[in-house]
Amino acid sequence: MRALCWNGINDLGVETVGDPRIVNPRDVILQVKMSTTCGSDLHFIDGYIPSMRKGDVIGHEFMGTVVETGPEVKKVHVGDRVVVPSFICCGSCWYCQHDLWSLCDNTNPKGELQEPLFGYQTAGIYGYTHAFGGYAGAHAQFVRVPHADTDCFQVPEGVTDEQALFLSDAVPTGYMGADFCGIQPGQTVAVWGCGGVGLMAQKAAFLLGAERVVGIDRYPERLKLAREQVGAETISYEEVDSVLDVLKELTGGRGPDACIDAVGMEAHGTGVVAAVDRARQALHLQSDRGQALRQAILACRKGGTLSVLGVYGVMDAFPMGVIMNKGLTVRSAQQHGQKYLPRLLEHVVKGELDPSFLATHRFSLEDAPRGYELFKKKQDGCVRAVFLPN
Amino acid sequence: MRDTIQPPGARLGDRGRRLLERGRRFDSEALLPQLASALVGGTLLTLGLRRGRLGGVAMALAGGGLLFRGTRTDQEPHVRKHGVVVRTLRRQRGRDTTVELTVLQRSITLQGTPDALYRRWRDPETLNQVMGHFAEVTASGDGLQHWKVPGVFGKALEWDAEVVEEHPGELLRWRSVGDTALPNEGWVRFRRAPADWGTSVTLRFVFDPPGGVVGEKAVKLLGALPSLLALKALKRFKSLVEAGEIPTTRPNPAAREGGYSS
Ligand SMILES: [Zn+2]
Ligand SMILES: [Zn+2]
Repeated sequence: MRALCWNGINDLGVETVGDPRIVNPRDVILQVKMSTTCGSDLHFIDGYIPSMRKGDVIGHEFMGTVVETGPEVKKVHVGDRVVVPSFICCGSCWYCQHDLWSLCDNTNPKGELQEPLFGYQTAGIYGYTHAFGGYAGAHAQFVRVPHADTDCFQVPEGVTDEQALFLSDAVPTGYMGADFCGIQPGQTVAVWGCGGVGLMAQKAAFLLGAERVVGIDRYPERLKLAREQVGAETISYEEVDSVLDVLKELTGGRGPDACIDAVGMEAHGTGVVAAVDRARQALHLQSDRGQALRQAILACRKGGTLSVLGVYGVMDAFPMGVIMNKGLTVRSAQQHGQKYLPRLLEHVVKGELDPSFLATHRFSLEDAPRGYELFKKKQDGCVRAVFLPN
Repeated sequence: MRDTIQPPGARLGDRGRRLLERGRRFDSEALLPQLASALVGGTLLTLGLRRGRLGGVAMALAGGGLLFRGTRTDQEPHVRKHGVVVRTLRRQRGRDTTVELTVLQRSITLQGTPDALYRRWRDPETLNQVMGHFAEVTASGDGLQHWKVPGVFGKALEWDAEVVEEHPGELLRWRSVGDTALPNEGWVRFRRAPADWGTSVTLRFVFDPPGGVVGEKAVKLLGALPSLLALKALKRFKSLVEAGEIPTTRPNPAAREGGYSS
């Protein structure tokens, strides 16, 4: 089959690779109908997250049709149109049973690689480095989905492929970020970042009862989407002297009740391989990324909630004293998609949520490297590039 | 190939060489713990120097240390194995001789009762699946298990093991019998965990070969990452019991190794 492979830092290519096979009894093989780019892919494309190997198939946000099932698969059948969350989950460990899906104990065959970094391992992800399992990704014609009965969600009639596609990752991540805020009626939620996840966090904040939502970004076309598609108020941080002051004025000097950091790691520099150089570059990068997080911590009202969805590495100079003195609650996670998917599908069916506006650009799989280029450089108003492999 | 017992200092040369050799074939995966250390180290160092005050200097020193650790490839094994229970105890044997006793021990918590998990462990097929990352384990009559670690110096390393202690639902202890290059013993213990966590299972391997290959060298026979041996076995047991299968990416579509990778 054809697949988009990581061949080195900033070197993606569409290659012919072996077809995926049923390996374990709960696997299915999915014919991918659509997959999409995600900001977190940029981290390893740029080489900031190690443990990619030349030739790995990437992509973790996708939907498709089941074409083959393993002997222990019971609920999923050949021909089903399904959406699959990006984290692979067993459904039976303590974490899965307590709705902490991305922390699943049983799906990362290389979890020991994470232990020096995190202390414990997380679940596996499709196409997202060997520390996260080394599974082949979904920017391909076919993909193997383990634990299919737990991880495949039927797409109901009337829900389009594109609507379903973003329920794989961007929507549940954003929804979870808003859910973490415990939003009460009348509250104001500020969201840093108006990419796919940030926009979905804003939309979810409204669905969960927020009165006002403020989106913060610097790209005019993203801010426009936040206003027109979500109904948020927006701040372009390049056009104001102080985001903090604007947020204070918007909230009568009080501050937002909850702040969501949905700023993904951005791409800076190229081609650094040596570990120490990489560390220095990562440091530069961290101070950049840290700005959004620190701003959110400062802006949040006393006793409010900080919800962190942005992907961080080893965060330095974290202002713990501010969090402690202001009595903030901090919540964070990689997406627990399996928890949210049934309710998200319901929102789509009822017409309360339509994430398909995120698909600003469409490419054939053969043109996927160009799609990533556009997405990475945010050219031509690209929010998400969607790939159609078949 | 009988090894003479050397004083601890003499062994370091051998160990350093081996680690250097290992350092040359680092891929980015093996580099991950080091890179993590380099990341933290570089960060602390730069921040510390920027502050320039006393606290900053302390931070820079701490950061520098980590960075040093992160960029060296010929480190002490105990640094590289940081966070994994690998103990080399010294046991006095005779008047002038010390023997290294390598203990690999890890614990894991999984769903299920101690009784059910104990029964599952005793199922002859289970051990073969759980130890599959390094050995084939088969029942060989007379209550013995046959362990076979393939591909060591071109031939398999093999031994028979017998159960020497058995407390159903609690503990099982086994020991290799007869002549083998790698005499060893081990036990697995099941204890009820608090609340709804199920059972904590502890697995211990002890490699203590009298007159054979010794200590660390013996463990080296078991492959590239002996320190993970117990942990991987427990993880495999946990996944098998909880999820019904052991996670794997073998074979995996990729643009290498004939279109697949493992
Ligand atoms: Zn993602
Ligand atoms: Zn699980």
